Amino acid sequence: MKAILKIALGIIAAIGGFLDIGDLVFTTQAGALFRYDLLWAVVLGVIGIAVYAEMSGRVAAVSGRPVFDVIRMRMGFGMGLLALVASTIVNVLTLAAELGGIAIVLELLFDAPYAMFVVAAAIALVGIVALLPFGGIERFFGYGGLLLFVVVATVFHQNPDWGEVGRGFIPSIDSSTLYLYFVVGVFAAALMPYEVHFYSSGAIEEGWTEENLKENRLNAIIGYGIGGILAVGLVIVSGFLFHPLGVEPDNLGTVALPMQGAFGETGLLLALGGMLFCVGGAAIDSSFAASYNLAQFLGWEWGRYQGPRKAPRFTASWLVFLLLGIAIAQSGINPVDITEYSVVLAVVALPLTYLPVLLIAGDRSFMDRYANGPIATTLGWLYFAVIVVLALAAIPLLLATNAGGG
Amino acid sequence: MIASGRKRARSAALAVLAALAIAFSGCGDLSNDELNRGVESLSALAAQGELVANGVARDATKTTYARAMARTLSEQAEHEAEKLADATLEEPETDDQRHAAVAVAEEIAGLLSTLQTFPGDEHHAELVEKHLGEAGEKADAIVAQLSGDAP
Amino acid sequence: MYVVHRLLDEQICDAEGKRVGRVDDIELQGNPPRVTALLVGEGLYPRRLPRSLARLARRISGPETWGKNALRIPWEEVDELTSTVKLRKKAEDLGLGQGDDPGRWIVGRLPWN
Repeated sequence: MKAILKIALGIIAAIGGFLDIGDLVFTTQAGALFRYDLLWAVVLGVIGIAVYAEMSGRVAAVSGRPVFDVIRMRMGFGMGLLALVASTIVNVLTLAAELGGIAIVLELLFDAPYAMFVVAAAIALVGIVALLPFGGIERFFGYGGLLLFVVVATVFHQNPDWGEVGRGFIPSIDSSTLYLYFVVGVFAAALMPYEVHFYSSGAIEEGWTEENLKENRLNAIIGYGIGGILAVGLVIVSGFLFHPLGVEPDNLGTVALPMQGAFGETGLLLALGGMLFCVGGAAIDSSFAASYNLAQFLGWEWGRYQGPRKAPRFTASWLVFLLLGIAIAQSGINPVDITEYSVVLAVVALPLTYLPVLLIAGDRSFMDRYANGPIATTLGWLYFAVIVVLALAAIPLLLATNAGGG
Repeated sequence: MIASGRKRARSAALAVLAALAIAFSGCGDLSNDELNRGVESLSALAAQGELVANGVARDATKTTYARAMARTLSEQAEHEAEKLADATLEEPETDDQRHAAVAVAEEIAGLLSTLQTFPGDEHHAELVEKHLGEAGEKADAIVAQLSGDAP
Repeated sequence: MYVVHRLLDEQICDAEGKRVGRVDDIELQGNPPRVTALLVGEGLYPRRLPRSLARLARRISGPETWGKNALRIPWEEVDELTSTVKLRKKAEDLGLGQGDDPGRWIVGRLPWN
């Protein structure tokens, strides 16, 4: 029993930072616009990140190579540099959106200006990173994110038409460009690359070996499964409340309204608290991912476990990225708008970082007997096809729908 | 502080387009569809405002949350009002609806502003909720008229 | 040639396991070609890029200055090849990992150090 609890807690810690402002925004908007019709896209995205993360974690544990090591080694300098530049831009934009998201939630809880909260959030993050060990950081945000289970409670409180909900899990393609845009958006928000890059580097921070492969698989399936349940819940509560009223959730605060409706102030506080930890965890993950990728590509010493003295360039780059994120978050652009772009750009850049991992994970000369089996190979290539299609469609759809504005 | 970036960006984009249109004379006015869209968003704002007001009326929410939400929604309604008021219409027959829409937008902005000022007052919130409901219905009526006018 | 393929872009670690850069280029000599040295440094990046970007890269990284932004590690210094290129000596002995030195100076001044 104790072992199960330990594993469960480990899983939860591992996936903190998965549900980020992108998921909060896109799921709520998807529910408001299309009720339950996009639930299948959420599930598709969640399975996708489980596949990508499992492969990355396995590669890291068996070969000691995190994602950008794999990318540089397999794709060479030129293509690797392209992947690095694209990935860095996406990560910095994501970080800015998350910092802005933290500030918005704080503004909803306390009476003080947004700008102040952005800086306060950054300082708090630096403090948390400086004071807690790597595992502690993960646990802090992972457990806090569990507050968001009030969403699941809200679903049952609302008691929607379960038949209708069930039909939402069956894929259907509406021809409207807005629908297709949200298919891409919901999927991409679930399959954010920073999460996987952070996860694979985290595996090495924690000194994973072949013995951790089972843990890796549990994290991928159960961990992201839990995240997926929350994402599905967000679509349902939003679809139930907002769709009939025609509400357009353009604000982050709107995400918490269904929980307020169901459970009053308690529901609201649990929802906002959960959102705070989720977005905070995502800020950590995306900022670290940016530094991990840069350091790994260039061959610098890296890792939170090394400490600032042994990995000074890695540490300095993390601070620089944090400052860039603050600057963008303060620039007056609505974080929700930044999110629309960071999510879309993420899926456009995704093939570049996904393919090398897929190739190495299936390569016996690197992975020995831990190379992709038939299931992993099939899923891996299937998802590569899906990702490429969505990557090509993403920008045209973004432009055609005016970033979901219709 | 947190203006609705997307609506603002759209207003800005429309303003730029309008300016270019004036320079190149004649085209780029607010089409019937866009007017429709604008009024629909008013209905959405009113609906969301109702939910927030309802929370205050039942004493089932946090005042900072209600205030911040009311402020944001009010600003969005105000922007929509400005956008509708500034635009030149493609179909001048819809001018009546446009004026009505601006009035509704102003009304919604005002009601939300009241909620922003009194985020803990249950009595005020009840009234705001009721009036927002009415304003939302007015917006829906305008949309219906516009759709009826559409060829 | 397979060795070259596997060597290029690999992470290099010194005798203590410290990460000290990547194999940015390889020196081959003789016929049949044999690897005589590993080359490391930003000065070598322009070589790896297509011509259109190489000029811009050269501007950023500066000319190849051996000893500063380009270092030569003789092949004899390589201890073993696993998922990294492990060297026989420590970083300082080979002039590697210097990039993490000036950084150290700045980071050492941060409040919590």
